[in-house]
Amino acid sequence: MAILSTAIFALEVSAGGHFKGKTIEIVVPFSPGGATFVSAKFLEPYLEKHLPGNPDINVVDRPGGGSILGANWFEKNAKSDGTTILFTTSSTANPFVLGKKGVAYRLADYRVAYSHPFSAVAYTSPDTGIKSASDIKKSKQPLVYGGISASASDLPGLLSFEVLGLDVKSVLGFKGRGPARLAFAQGETNLDYQFTPVYLTQVVPSVAEGKAVPLWTGGAVDANGNLRKRDPIAPDLPSVYEVYKNLYGKDPSGIEWDAFEAIASVTYAYGLTAYMHPDTPQDVLDAFAKAAAAINADPEFQKESKKVTNGARLSAGPATEKAVKSALSASPEVKKYLRELLSTKFGVKF
Amino acid sequence: MLEHALPAIEALLDPIRLAALFVGMAVGMIFGMLPGLGGVAAVSILLPFIYFLDDYTGLAMLLGAISVVYTADTITSVLIGAPGSPASAPTAIEGHALAKQGKAATALGVGFLASMVGGLLGALILLFAIPVAGPIVLALGTPELFMFAIVGLFFASSMLGKNLSRGLAAAFLGIFLGSVGPASADADFRFTFDQVYLLDGLSLTIVALGLFGVAEVISMLASGGGISRGEVPVTHWKDGFLEFLKHRWLIFRCALIGVFGGFVPAVGASASTWVAYGHAIRSSKEPKYFGKGDIRGVAAAEGANNATIISDLIPTLLFSVPGGPAAAIFLGALFSFGYYPGPRMITQNPELMFLIVWSVALASVIGAIICFLIAPALARLTKLPFALIAAPLVLVMVMGAYQSTSTMGDMFMLLLMGLIGWAMKHADWPRAPALVGFVLADPMEQYFWLSNQIHGWSWLMRPGVLIIIGLMLAPFIYRLWKSRFEKGEKVQDVEREKGLGSPVNLALSLTVLSLFTWAFFESLTYSPDSRLLPWLALIPGIPVTCFLLIRGYLCRERDKDLMPQSIKELPYLLSLGLYVFAIFIVGFSIATPPFVAWMLFSCAKMRIHTGLLYGTVICTLSFLLFSILRNGAPDGIFGPLI
Repeated sequence: MAILSTAIFALEVSAGGHFKGKTIEIVVPFSPGGATFVSAKFLEPYLEKHLPGNPDINVVDRPGGGSILGANWFEKNAKSDGTTILFTTSSTANPFVLGKKGVAYRLADYRVAYSHPFSAVAYTSPDTGIKSASDIKKSKQPLVYGGISASASDLPGLLSFEVLGLDVKSVLGFKGRGPARLAFAQGETNLDYQFTPVYLTQVVPSVAEGKAVPLWTGGAVDANGNLRKRDPIAPDLPSVYEVYKNLYGKDPSGIEWDAFEAIASVTYAYGLTAYMHPDTPQDVLDAFAKAAAAINADPEFQKESKKVTNGARLSAGPATEKAVKSALSASPEVKKYLRELLSTKFGVKF
Repeated sequence: MLEHALPAIEALLDPIRLAALFVGMAVGMIFGMLPGLGGVAAVSILLPFIYFLDDYTGLAMLLGAISVVYTADTITSVLIGAPGSPASAPTAIEGHALAKQGKAATALGVGFLASMVGGLLGALILLFAIPVAGPIVLALGTPELFMFAIVGLFFASSMLGKNLSRGLAAAFLGIFLGSVGPASADADFRFTFDQVYLLDGLSLTIVALGLFGVAEVISMLASGGGISRGEVPVTHWKDGFLEFLKHRWLIFRCALIGVFGGFVPAVGASASTWVAYGHAIRSSKEPKYFGKGDIRGVAAAEGANNATIISDLIPTLLFSVPGGPAAAIFLGALFSFGYYPGPRMITQNPELMFLIVWSVALASVIGAIICFLIAPALARLTKLPFALIAAPLVLVMVMGAYQSTSTMGDMFMLLLMGLIGWAMKHADWPRAPALVGFVLADPMEQYFWLSNQIHGWSWLMRPGVLIIIGLMLAPFIYRLWKSRFEKGEKVQDVEREKGLGSPVNLALSLTVLSLFTWAFFESLTYSPDSRLLPWLALIPGIPVTCFLLIRGYLCRERDKDLMPQSIKELPYLLSLGLYVFAIFIVGFSIATPPFVAWMLFSCAKMRIHTGLLYGTVICTLSFLLFSILRNGAPDGIFGPLI
């Protein structure tokens, strides 16, 4: 008996402990089949393989209220031992930052287990006469952008137009980025943003056929935590920061840039983030950080992610958590600016 | 490209893949039959399992489910009268009326065959239209899509029924329900009472279940007899085949409507089913039998809905833009297997394309055959006291409703919609226009707004728009011109006004009038663009309901005895309400056993032993199904404490 229990004990220790025989529930506050759900499922086998104790991972969808219902459910029901995860996007973060009605979750208090970039590329129609980002102010046609809703994932795109000082007519009210892309193909709009996997598979072929001109990416976070680097998913394209510098000959600054940087970080650089209960112990987070590093080093993951995201990597650990939390805790001035912009320019009510 | 057809069928005929296809079909049929659970639920349940399979096997399993849902839902719609899925509501109206006349076999036979034709046509078009479909989809800008929604509404006008004012009031109520939630571009959130639950608007599943399903279950609990007062004979398939052959062109046209509905993103199977049903009524020489059991209604709806769900895959495979919710999950599965559909898909993965087409075609045919085989057995169930069938149905509906957000809001909304549907049924308001109004409200507003934003008013002069207006008005003008020479039958005023003064109608008219008046004042606080859609319902809706109320009040003496059935059913409605509140307080697992016991012993008068056994079985199955559906049953406020 004693030998047996010692053996079991030894087994647990050798397995590393934390999640042996446990089930981790990953809550996705969107419909199954959506990009977030697919990404969660994409990461599932790698997390099962590399987390200590090889837990069973269960991805659960809880759609509704533009992701607010699922996040509110998490606020009420999450366990603090790391077995409940909220895996979500800026659609959850932006209403929190803007302080919209119905938000009951304290996103900035949550612990960040791991994060995956969700980069986007801006492109335009050749009919505008624009050949590259530097021509953006010389369009032959009025620029028309098609989007879903100013306060959700379109926000960083709209803010990039503000930063660059562009005169863009934004037509919001499409039911998804797919229909918006069709409107671009139909010639009804001539400026569009698409997220990486769709950009690589749908827009890149159009670029080759001469039906689309790629412009810029939102950018990637550099060592100092600023959104200035080129995005590794499309290294040939400048970041918004570079485009501004090229157009105006100086670094972007001021409230427009601060707002863009905060919102674009949570939308693009930390676009898909796994949150945990505020009281989750540090060793659980460390285990996830270790697993994220192991996943990044896994040749199979590298091969698969090359296909889907041109090789994007997970990030985790204190630096990532700090960056996400600071982006979520926008200054009162930025919040005020955003609320004013949204209500005056896009008719959003708070 | 065709040289890949044979390798693809060989790949599909691999025993494991065939087995997966059949498992998918089995799940699809069960979920198709369960009201409230349809293609989306079937595909989501299968989704976790496909990750253990190889790509072709996993996709074949999903396609098996997608292809048979709208075949199997015919069974529930015809035999019980509760739509097996929202897109078979017309089948529930016409097919169930036929079943009551003892013609269930005819309705089922035509329904299965029409579904099969719809599925096969969808598969055929999937195969051959993909090279052609691209330019067509791209030719349809937002103004053309708006015009399609108007065409749908125009067709819906033929469903208003014998009493124009009640039909209109129902349609306006539907449009109003469709305006709840976000206005275009989220500028305003209308009629949400600050509830997060309402931020996305109402779920189609819940509205369809509530309006059609709950009222049927209530009357099943209250009655106890069979559908046609005894056994529903499902033996003479011959009539079904003959009717099918007779209406083959109607079915073909409706399948084309369905295919077209699938082409256009964001027009779901429900919308195209209603358009097809409206087309059947419009093209018929004697439309007066519609609503009372006309086989053409079944033929049209079933031909269309299966075609839509299959051709939903066209924009999915061509542009990565899912044509409907089940297609969205299928797209997610394709992504997971590393396929990124797009214009290059046909050249890059021709074998996969053929595998999809073969799976759909095979499942459509075999699905129809299986339905023919199992329908007689299922029809025998209708010999049982109705309350016996109602008990599991109530649980399934609750479960189906709970799939949309997994919050208590789903339950309350089901109850509220059920109350409205029940009142409409007893006040003789046609429920079809309400559901059509609801289904079309969203695309109408969205595309009107986008058209105006992008093009200003110049979109009205686009050639596509003018062609659609012409096609819509031509038969109408032709008919008007022709009718000058013919004298139509005049419906007797007495029949048209029957029941106007009944207390249920008075109460419903008053409630809807108050709701509309309140909503009108509430809408004044919205931005002008957000007011358009609700005003489309409210401005004509207020006078119509006002008229109904006054006319009803004047006939109240004549009709005051017209409500024994409603009074008899009222306690059952209240019990259902009590059950939902009990779920809210103590949770599903505690509230359900007493409610099931009440249904079995008090309503169905079962004997103690059989009742206990049957009750245990359905409670256990419902808990099991809830846990398979992954989100678990609702706990209630105090449930976890007990």
